[in-house]
Amino acid sequence: MIRNLLFTAAFLGLAATAPALAQEDAAATAIAAAKQFSGSSITVVAEAGLQALLDTQYSGPEWEQLTGIKVKVVELPNEEIYPKTILEKQAGTGGYDVLLISPALLADMVNNGAAEPLDDFVKKYGADKEFDDVNPAFKDWMSYNGKTYGLVVDGDVLVTYYRKDLFEDPENQKAFKEKYSYDLAAPKTYKEFGDIACFLTEKYQPKIYGAGVINTGYTHFFFSERFRAHGGKFFDQETMKATVNSEAGVKALTEMVEQNKCMSPGIETWGFAENLSALNAGEIAMTISWPPLGRWTQGVNIEDKALSWVPKTVVADKIGYAINPGGHPQLASGFLSGVSPDSKNKEAAYLYAQWMHSKSQSLKNVMRPVGLRDPFRISHYESPEYQNLWGGAKDYLKVLKDGAAAGYADLSVIDTFKYQDSMSRAVNAAIGGEDPQTALNGMAAEWDQITESVGADKQRDAYKVWAAKPTAYRE
Amino acid sequence: MTAASPTYIKTGRPFWAGRRGTGIAFVAPAIFVMLLVGLFPFLWSVAVSFQDLAGAKQSGNWIGLANYKKLIADARVWAALGRTLLLLAVALPLELILGLLLAMHFQIERPLKRLFVALIVLPAVISPMVAGSIWRLMLDHKFGPFNQIIGWITGEPIVLLWVIKPHLAFWAILIAEVWQWTPFMFIILLAALANVDREQLEAAEIDGAGRFRVFFRIVLPAIMPVLGIAVLIRALDLFRIFDAVWQLTRGGPGNKTETISIFMYIRGFQSFETSYTAALVVILLIVLSLAVTLALKRMEIAR
Amino acid sequence: MNRRYALGEAIWYGVSILVVAVILFPIYWMFMISLKAPEEIFKSPPAWFPSQPQFGNYAALFLDGDVWSLWNSLVIAGLSTVIAMILGTLCAYAIVRFRTGGDNLAIWILSQRMIPPIAVVFPIFLAYAAFGLADSYPGLILLYTAFALPYVIWMMRGYLADVPVELEEAALVDGYSHIEVLWKVTVPMARNGLIATAIFAFLFSWNEFLFALILTRTEVITYPVQISQYFGSQSTFWAKIAAMSALGTLPVFIVVSMLQRYLVRGISLGAVKG
Repeated sequence: MIRNLLFTAAFLGLAATAPALAQEDAAATAIAAAKQFSGSSITVVAEAGLQALLDTQYSGPEWEQLTGIKVKVVELPNEEIYPKTILEKQAGTGGYDVLLISPALLADMVNNGAAEPLDDFVKKYGADKEFDDVNPAFKDWMSYNGKTYGLVVDGDVLVTYYRKDLFEDPENQKAFKEKYSYDLAAPKTYKEFGDIACFLTEKYQPKIYGAGVINTGYTHFFFSERFRAHGGKFFDQETMKATVNSEAGVKALTEMVEQNKCMSPGIETWGFAENLSALNAGEIAMTISWPPLGRWTQGVNIEDKALSWVPKTVVADKIGYAINPGGHPQLASGFLSGVSPDSKNKEAAYLYAQWMHSKSQSLKNVMRPVGLRDPFRISHYESPEYQNLWGGAKDYLKVLKDGAAAGYADLSVIDTFKYQDSMSRAVNAAIGGEDPQTALNGMAAEWDQITESVGADKQRDAYKVWAAKPTAYRE
Repeated sequence: MTAASPTYIKTGRPFWAGRRGTGIAFVAPAIFVMLLVGLFPFLWSVAVSFQDLAGAKQSGNWIGLANYKKLIADARVWAALGRTLLLLAVALPLELILGLLLAMHFQIERPLKRLFVALIVLPAVISPMVAGSIWRLMLDHKFGPFNQIIGWITGEPIVLLWVIKPHLAFWAILIAEVWQWTPFMFIILLAALANVDREQLEAAEIDGAGRFRVFFRIVLPAIMPVLGIAVLIRALDLFRIFDAVWQLTRGGPGNKTETISIFMYIRGFQSFETSYTAALVVILLIVLSLAVTLALKRMEIAR
Repeated sequence: MNRRYALGEAIWYGVSILVVAVILFPIYWMFMISLKAPEEIFKSPPAWFPSQPQFGNYAALFLDGDVWSLWNSLVIAGLSTVIAMILGTLCAYAIVRFRTGGDNLAIWILSQRMIPPIAVVFPIFLAYAAFGLADSYPGLILLYTAFALPYVIWMMRGYLADVPVELEEAALVDGYSHIEVLWKVTVPMARNGLIATAIFAFLFSWNEFLFALILTRTEVITYPVQISQYFGSQSTFWAKIAAMSALGTLPVFIVVSMLQRYLVRGISLGAVKG
């Protein structure tokens, strides 16, 4: 009771001071400046599916209301965002204004001349005043070679979700300890992940399965993390030969494929949404996925009928959040908003990006499950409003923050997309039944071909820069 | 009514035949448009294939036959080619046989025959892309009826992951392809069979010839010219198959269902290896043109 | 004898119905999905009939503006068909009557139909980029026209040849120019074939996917490209896929049922007169 009163008072206090702060607010600045472009329109690239819904249902209409600028949304499947953007650059038609950039691919985009430098805009409209608030783990996403090319709008880090109620059940704990000689808790290694999955599946199937994972669409992220967790390195720095088919690689991939056996039937076809739906519907006890699942499973801020195909959550307040096995979750993907150099409306496009990136607006975005935007600012993690969204929100935010601080960055070199694509296909082949060693050998051979066409020396320079960062191998 | 020859319509020779001026004026616009799309890309591809264009680079350096050498050494290209030919070798006979059976069944004139024929033809007139999408849905292990039906037949629920397991993926594409194009064969054979000389057939029946003999000695030779063109058309369509495969598997899992067109799409539009893809384009166009010209000339000579 | 005949007839109908049912089942499934509520689509195992058929999915397409892609398809396929018919008929007439180019031209034209689109699309894309034709009506119309021409010429060759030469000879003697002969004498006689050819040429363009996928961006997306966008990496919007597929396929069905008579020749490329 008292707590509520205090909270309300604090909130009112904040609200009262808000107008005074409005001068400094990057969101307000963006809105005010954008009004001069009223009547024009901007085309925003969004990932097809849940992510795009934010721009089409909320942000887009809201922006139009505030500034008079019409927002058109182009939806692209994740694996087509980069190729289509480059294709667009080649065509030179300026069809996209606000770009969606995956941080690992930023270097390639800049080298292809497909991203507009934003430093002038950033200074002019004061986005840099809020840069200190950006989580250090994500800050260096925004620039390349000293220039800023994108503003963070989505801070991704993989999270392990598990059913607290099942894990804390005394019967389960006893039986598990007997069988495996360690306590049933959030897995600390990937082996434990498999053990727990099999254990729970054995007990609860077919109603509940021990775990679910994502096996289509983003598989290279998951392999990338496991690979490094097992001590794997991507290249031999001297020769620049790919070392993905090393023992660590085979171990990681074999483990990944083996563990599918203890999961729901047909797990090999699961994508992001299937995984989310299963957790929501209480059909799996554990999974590794992106931060939005925390909000989806809690059922916060879901009003839209357009989302009726996502099952209503039955596991609210039952989900625990943990840092991934191995302790270094992958900062898998993440997104920046950038501007196309061929855009005919660069400034208006930039202002939309700044608005979405700004402290106040981004807080709203990351509290929504729709749009799949995840916390990336210190103010997000520490926001009282957020922390009080639900009982477990504080733990959730802590896991996100700590996970990002200890996480692995995506591999980023020259022609990263080609390496990623090759990795995806090899992993998918293994999931489909190919022998992991063979799949990885094929992948290594493809990687070597790509390195050769880039030029081994050039690639070595780029790789050295990436590998020198603490986020590369966390040793 | 006989089957029209592929090149020469035997009509009376009009008195103005051979007036070249007007003739050329009539054909010029169409030829121009076709050349624009047929010749220019070829020339451009040839030029580019000798360079090292890739990514968003605007100009390249001359590197001679390097791309061609790389192509010949590229296992993935051969795999894609092999896969495409395998698909062709399996799908074409299937479509032919099924189409033939259907055509024979519908040789009889009965009420409602027209309706049945029109209905059967439907798969062939929808977009191949839509067909691929439909089968993607049909074969989905959770939301599609295909596995369900198989489960009924075998008596126990099965989990067949049609687009995940490499062997199944090939069959998935085969099913979608045969489903869509058997009606095409059917229609052609339907008309061709109807054009077989009735008198010959009746004479054979009176002579007491068995069904098989009648078929192989009389029917088959009679429909051969039409069959030849149909097979040629389908073979070429199968060789360049893209839409259905893209919808079902995108060439996956891994590369396991990557056909030659998918390979070219990925290398050209996802990896942006312009020159490399151009080299492949040149080789393909040359080979296909030769094959088609030879085939057509052969059919002419056989007449 | 009568009973055996009746039995044979019954069996024939039975087989026919079975065949049609099996072949049309996937199409039925697609329509059925389009009438299901989104929640019902995700039931497993799938229901074979929507519990409450509803048009919400179609409404969503209209509300979201996705139906615009159908309009784009109509414009592009329509205009390219018209142009191809005009140029193609002229060309076919010359080949048949004037013997222009003889055998070689005819074979060359047929071989043009055999070009794999993927081989052509990349240089075309770059050329279009240079000329500003990417993602525009004229760009796609030009391309579709070029690809329809071999088919149109090949078909019209057959239909025009069926027109008795004597009529044309008479008209020429009366002082008509060649164009007038074609337009006023030959074309009306070949009208049915013309219509059939036009319809089938339209269908090929209407259904085309690859070129549209690569050459459209945001402005002139055709309906097959629109459908492909519903296949997301996160999840697949089956409801939209089914509804848009139904909308894109309906015109095809209507047209084909109206043109039953021309089905054989239209689909068999005029290889067979029927």
